[in-house]
Amino acid sequence: MTRFEYDDSDVVVVVGSGAGGGTVANELCQRGFKTVVLEAGPHLTGEDYHQDEWAAFGQMAWSDPRTTSGSWQVATDFPGLPAWIVKAVGGTTTHWAGACPRFKAHEFAARSTYGDLDGTSLLDWPITLSELEPYYDRAEIKMGVTHRHGRPPLPANNNYKVFANGAEKVGYKYYSTGPYATNAEPYDGRPATVQDGFNFQGDKHGSKWSTLVAELPKAERTGNLDLRPDSHVAQIEHDASGRATGVLYVDRNGTLRRQRAAVVCVAGNSIETPRLLLLSGSAQHPDGLANSSGQVGRNYMRHTTGTVWGQFDKPVRMWRGETMAGVIADESRLDTDRGFVGGYYMETISLGPAFLAKFIAPGRWGTPVTELLDQYRNTAGMWIIGEDMPRADNRVTLSGETVDQHGLPVANVHFDDHENDVAMRRHGQRQGAAVYQAVGARKTIETPPYPSTHNLGTCRMSQRPRDGVVDRYGRAHDVPNLFISDGSVMTTGAAANPTLTIVALATRQAEYIATELNKTLS
Amino acid sequence: MASSLVSARDRQTLVNVVYAAFPHSTFPRGPYERAADAVIDQAGKDPRFLAQLLQGLTDLDAQREVPFAELDADVAAAVLRGADGTPFLTAVVDSVVVTLYSDPEVWELLGYEGPSYEQGGYVDRGFDDLDWLPDPKIEHDEEMTA
Repeated sequence: MTRFEYDDSDVVVVVGSGAGGGTVANELCQRGFKTVVLEAGPHLTGEDYHQDEWAAFGQMAWSDPRTTSGSWQVATDFPGLPAWIVKAVGGTTTHWAGACPRFKAHEFAARSTYGDLDGTSLLDWPITLSELEPYYDRAEIKMGVTHRHGRPPLPANNNYKVFANGAEKVGYKYYSTGPYATNAEPYDGRPATVQDGFNFQGDKHGSKWSTLVAELPKAERTGNLDLRPDSHVAQIEHDASGRATGVLYVDRNGTLRRQRAAVVCVAGNSIETPRLLLLSGSAQHPDGLANSSGQVGRNYMRHTTGTVWGQFDKPVRMWRGETMAGVIADESRLDTDRGFVGGYYMETISLGPAFLAKFIAPGRWGTPVTELLDQYRNTAGMWIIGEDMPRADNRVTLSGETVDQHGLPVANVHFDDHENDVAMRRHGQRQGAAVYQAVGARKTIETPPYPSTHNLGTCRMSQRPRDGVVDRYGRAHDVPNLFISDGSVMTTGAAANPTLTIVALATRQAEYIATELNKTLS
Repeated sequence: MASSLVSARDRQTLVNVVYAAFPHSTFPRGPYERAADAVIDQAGKDPRFLAQLLQGLTDLDAQREVPFAELDADVAAAVLRGADGTPFLTAVVDSVVVTLYSDPEVWELLGYEGPSYEQGGYVDRGFDDLDWLPDPKIEHDEEMTA
């Protein structure tokens, strides 16, 4: 393993090793740049993972304290757990399922398309789909996405058979088993899926793309990667000229270290990234680093989500096979006549009995719960995921009193559903129930949102510095060598699962950083 | 570590509470006993929860002429509903919903197969064996543009 000196001020420091951080790190290593990746969590690998939901959650989840506020149901059901994301090498790419839709052209121009909706802070992205398309191609090739670039589709599993037959009967056309970033056949040195049914718990087989099994090992082979797990960044430092000079982090022994840097890329997911900027306040940046706009932490989005379960007379056994290898895209279309703006996808989902019992009606007990569990074998599941509205007051702030194990104030996540979100969720749950009823469901059940897996928008890209935190490449408007490399930069959230877009944006950003660094270093 | 303050009778009452909260007619008593023991272990590490547990069980026993453990199932359910939202029952439910449904015997009773990787996943063991619906298409015809 390569190690660079703490005082080596030529390195690029990347904070976080997930979809954004792992990708930007690999792209820079491939171009010959010395890169230090600081990951707050441990280095778990396939052998470590548990095929047991609670054990896996305990092992992988970011379970450091956080607080919540606002009217969203998650604040009631899971007040200390606003998000279900990972603290380990590979970040939340070790937990994600693999669904890879692209954003649509109009979703990069949400403000122009949807208009000035009351109670939102909608804004157009400073980039267009056509600018991102070449990077979508590269991301899909990198990730081995099924249905794309010659990669074969995954076969239909049991949960998909119910979902797809229902889709056909209600008249949907755009249903399929992907695009999905898990190998249907061997690809890129990784094996085909064995359909073992565990995705959210880490993939023991390595057939699912993650930065853990793809980007970081490739980066390591260049000799340019210095990966430091168990390294929690506490502060980004800057000099009098306003340039970032490095970071302070707590290492695995609890010692505070300083790593100097030529460039700092922050990719801690959309809750930890703004928290770190807010923790990095200074005399020059009194409201937090790169926050002259006051936008750091604002416009937090989490996708409008919900789950629909259908119960049948015959077995489904939804837990067998790739969890989310099924998508209905018809409702993702641009159609503002449904009572809401934005679109949504329906995607297959499965939970084991332990998580189903916990999530199906949080805090509830008695026969309403047990009767649903008694039909577990005959249950099919789908997740609704759609574009939610950015709002200035939906935001990540530093919690007043709660601190983590290092004494750092934790993030508070405040969220109020916009009426558009509520209308979309209701529509999605009605349509989801219709899909299952069309193939004979005896009963359908709606589950409220889980702790957020898609956390977006808290350092958004904007054309004008006053509207956001970063520019079209993810470079901080206020700090020229500070980049944000994760889903925090999303100006709006679109309907699609965000990972593919995060990887595309990070790939594009790395190319830009390389060009800029070559100018200054030569 | 279970506290010596939890008597054998308290434990029996708690097993009945767990059953009344999550009544599955097909389950034997074993999973409920294990879930109750997990509650007792947890309370052994948390004096506040232990105090609430002991008081909560005593309160349930005082609701009818006979102790909670001797009530018919529907009466027990009604009594338990009266305690809904109390810190005692909330803490018990939060614990039990995790342990009961993580119990391999319960998985088997519900038909869930649990860890699969050691057996090679389901690729040759029925991931696509659903036969009561036709095989659907897996690719859509054209890329949707809007």
